[in-house]
Parts: sequence; structure tokens; C-alpha cells
Amino acid sequence: MAIISQVQGTGLGLKRELIPQIQSLYGQEQLANINFVEIAPENWISAGSKAAKQLDWFVERYPVVCHGLCLSLGGPSPLNVDFLQQVKTFLCQYQIPVYTEHLSYCTDGFKGKQGYLYDLLPIPFTEEAVHYVAQRIRQTQDILGQRIGVENASFYVAAPISEMSEIDFINAVITEADCLLHLDINNIYVNSVNFGFDPHAFLRRIPGERIIYSHMAGHYRQTPNLLVDTHGENVIDPVWDLLEDAYRLFGAFPTLLERDNNIPPLAVLMHEINKIADYQSKAGHRFTTFDQVPEQMTG
Amino acid sequence: MAELPGFQLYQLAFTARLRDPQNQPPLAGVPNERMAVYEEIVFNNLFESVSACFPIARKILGKRRWLKLNQAFMRDYSASSPLFRKIPEQFLEFLQTAEPELRQQLPPYFTSLCHYEWIELFVASAEAINIKEVQPAGNLGNGRPVFVSAMQLLDYEYAVHKISPRHKPRQPENTQLLVFRNADDHVKFIELNAVTYQLISLLQNNPISGRQALALLAKELQHPRPESIIKFGLSTLEDLRSQGVIIGTHD
Repeated sequence: MAIISQVQGTGLGLKRELIPQIQSLYGQEQLANINFVEIAPENWISAGSKAAKQLDWFVERYPVVCHGLCLSLGGPSPLNVDFLQQVKTFLCQYQIPVYTEHLSYCTDGFKGKQGYLYDLLPIPFTEEAVHYVAQRIRQTQDILGQRIGVENASFYVAAPISEMSEIDFINAVITEADCLLHLDINNIYVNSVNFGFDPHAFLRRIPGERIIYSHMAGHYRQTPNLLVDTHGENVIDPVWDLLEDAYRLFGAFPTLLERDNNIPPLAVLMHEINKIADYQSKAGHRFTTFDQVPEQMTG
Repeated sequence: MAELPGFQLYQLAFTARLRDPQNQPPLAGVPNERMAVYEEIVFNNLFESVSACFPIARKILGKRRWLKLNQAFMRDYSASSPLFRKIPEQFLEFLQTAEPELRQQLPPYFTSLCHYEWIELFVASAEAINIKEVQPAGNLGNGRPVFVSAMQLLDYEYAVHKISPRHKPRQPENTQLLVFRNADDHVKFIELNAVTYQLISLLQNNPISGRQALALLAKELQHPRPESIIKFGLSTLEDLRSQGVIIGTHD
């Protein structure tokens, strides 16, 4: 069983392709920097006995965190409470102490149903949207009985009706919902190129004490001013610089590498994970802990 | 609609465009090439999930018709499951509930074929139910045969398992299949004859022994020598046990 304070150091997004390699190299020095792993509940809830056996294996050996994709915190259809109950049961069953979601939406309520579109769509940054999303985060936290983290999403279209900047939107939502921040370093960079802002200035306005953990990833450069968040490439230097800057500002918070496409052998991914660990050891210690936060394991 | 806040009206216009880029108007103030990123990733995501589950159905229709069918799925269907794994199941429901106009454009066996292709995924991820007090070597005649929990007994109007682009059925051919997940988590298909299908069906739906089920079956078939049905049936049940379909007996 993991508790929230055990989510430390460096981690890896768990993809099915990587499981056999992790299992065969488990315990060896080369995997020493896999300190925690992340799964998407949408891929593991009622996924059959093979998946359940795999998950049991990981839960016994690593702190596991859940990073959701389809809760649709910003969606126009009612929050899918049945699904959230399934998530709650799942978190409880596998003693998973952390659940995070995206500051985006993936449903449109089409024909009176949820209308899942299975991708992360951009919420317009308006005052009304702040209250709406914050209320849904609060509802989620009430149902789960624990605080969740919300991730700054990558996006490609700026809504012409937006009334504020992304960082103002994020801060307003997080404050109003009193939730944690799942900071995606690569998404800051992707958006800074796509919408022409200074990512380091953005970073300085992040509420560092609320960071539960962060993501590092690569992206695809479609044109010089359009980056697509594919998680299919190596992490590039400007994103490493941002991570270094973030550690300098906030101390070394837990950080996880995401690789979802074009997945190289585990040994290659370990180079990037080890590099994160290097950055962490050079950075100052972080004093924020969330030991007091969760009361989620009572169910 | 008037009471919806502005950001939601915008979201609905946004998703309407994603669902049907060919007919819905572009959003004012949004560059086309940026919107195109979403139009592509959202559709491709769905298209790849569906295509991966239905390789034969896809080939049967050919590239252009398969694409159009998936575009209709994107445009007309409101998915209610947040689980990616369930996208193929929802595609199947889309076919089963589609307008007659759309169904008429598809081969008559098409929905059955898709069901057959989907069932493999369904059985692969079915919950494993731990059945208690099973005697693995129990007598299948005297005891009640216990079937593996991840299993489906299927009755199709067409010989769906023989369909390929080179072998498209010209007429219906009643076909019974059993699909199950064995102890090694592999999904297996077995073609059944009508009698075996009935036997399994009887055993699944009634708390009776193998011998009782076979006696009922012989009666139903009005067989002149019931004992030959029973003998044949018991060896069939043993065969199903050796394949892992039957995991043992209950008293």
C-alpha cells in the first residue's frame, strides 16, 4: 500500500509495451530511478484478469498514481458520477493515493448522453468557466473524499471569447476549487510556442506549494509555431531548461516521464528518467509535503 | 439553448465542428489550420480504435466506405462510456441502432461480422469470476459441469468466422460458435454443431448434471437410441474439459 508521501523522486508512465521489460529488470540498478509509476484509470478499470494480475504486481512493488483522461472536468454534460464511483472503488482496491485529471473537456452532451470524444479539448478561459470547472473539481473531491490534482493541458486553439490568460485561469480555478496542481512542464512549453508567451514567466506564476507532481514529455513540431503534444519524441532542451527553472523556484518536486507513442526500449527511457533525477539532486530540497492532505484510504 | 453560458455555447460549436467538419461551419476567429489539428486527432483516435478491432469488416467494405462509415459514427453517435476499450462496443451499438438508410448500404452480414470481431476483445477483458468449490476432475455425467466464466455462446445467421474479402457469404448459414478465455488468458474460438450448442445452452441455464442434460436433449431430438446421444455427449463434454471450456464440476 502506498501513501501520498511515498510518491517521490522520478517516475514513469506505465505503458503496456513496457511492462515485460520492467518486470524482467525489476530490482536491478538500471531501474533504480523508477520510484513510482502512473496509470490512466480508463485503461485499467475492468480490463480483465491479465491486466488485474499486472496491476497487482506493480502495486506490490511501486507507489502507483492515477492520471485520468476522460472525467471531462470542463465538459457541458453532467459530471459522470457513476464513472467517478468506479474510479473511487478502483483507487481503494489498489490503494492508489493520488488521482489527477486534466483542465480540459472530452464530452459534449450530444443527444442527451455524455458524448465522449476521447480527446483533451480546450476550455475557453472565461469567468463563468472558472466557477463551473472549480465547482466540478469540488464535486469530484467530495465524491472521492480526497483532493485531486489538475493538470495544465496543452492546446492548439485559443478561444476568441477568452477573458483571461491561461495562467490566470489555472490560478483562479485551483484557488476556487482548493485542489492540487499536476504540473506538466512540456505543456507549458507547447502552449508558449503555440500562443507566443514566455514559458519562464508563466512558470513563475505557478503556485509551487500545490504541485503534487509533474510531467515531462516530448512533442511533435508540426511547424515552427505549432507544436503537437504527442508524447512520442525525446524531451527537448528548452523543456529541460524549464524543469531546471521550476526546481530552482519550487524545490525538486516528484517528476514523471510520459512516453505514449513511438516508445523506445526501456533502457533509452531510463536516460531521460536518470536525467530528471540528476536535476533533482542538484536542486534544493522541497519542504512541501502532502502528508496532512489525504484521508482517502478509509474506504 | 439561450440560457447556456457563452463558454458552453462556444464548446458546443467547437465539438459540432469536430463531429462533422464537412458540414458544420468553422468557428469565427479560429484559424483553420489550428482547428484542423483537433479535427484530425479526434477523428483519427476514434478511427484507429475502431479499425484495430474490426480488421475483416474494414477490408470487406474497402477504404472509402469504411472511412465514411466511421465518419458517420463520429457524427451521429453519442458515446456514453469513458473507457477507450469500449469504443468498439459502441461502434457495434451504433451499427445495431443505425438508421435503415445506413444499414441498407452495408452487406446483410456486416453487423454480425462486427459482433464476431468484437467478441474477442470482450471475452479477453471480461471480469474473471472466481468460481468456488469446483472439482476439476469431477464426473461430468453425474456432476454439474462448470464452465469457464469468460465465455460466450454465439448463434449467428451467417458463417461469420469464414468471412474474408475473398469469401463473402452469398446467403445465410446458421452458425454456432463458442468463444472463451483459457487459463493462460488466451481467447479461443470453437465451432459447434447444433446439438453441442443446445447441450451447452441447457447446462448453462439449468442446474442439472451432464447426464440429465443429455437425456433431455435425446428426448427433445426424439432420438431412437438415447444412450448413443449420452455416450456421444459425455465424450464431447470431456473434450470441452480438455480444452478448458469446462473447468470441472459441482455436486
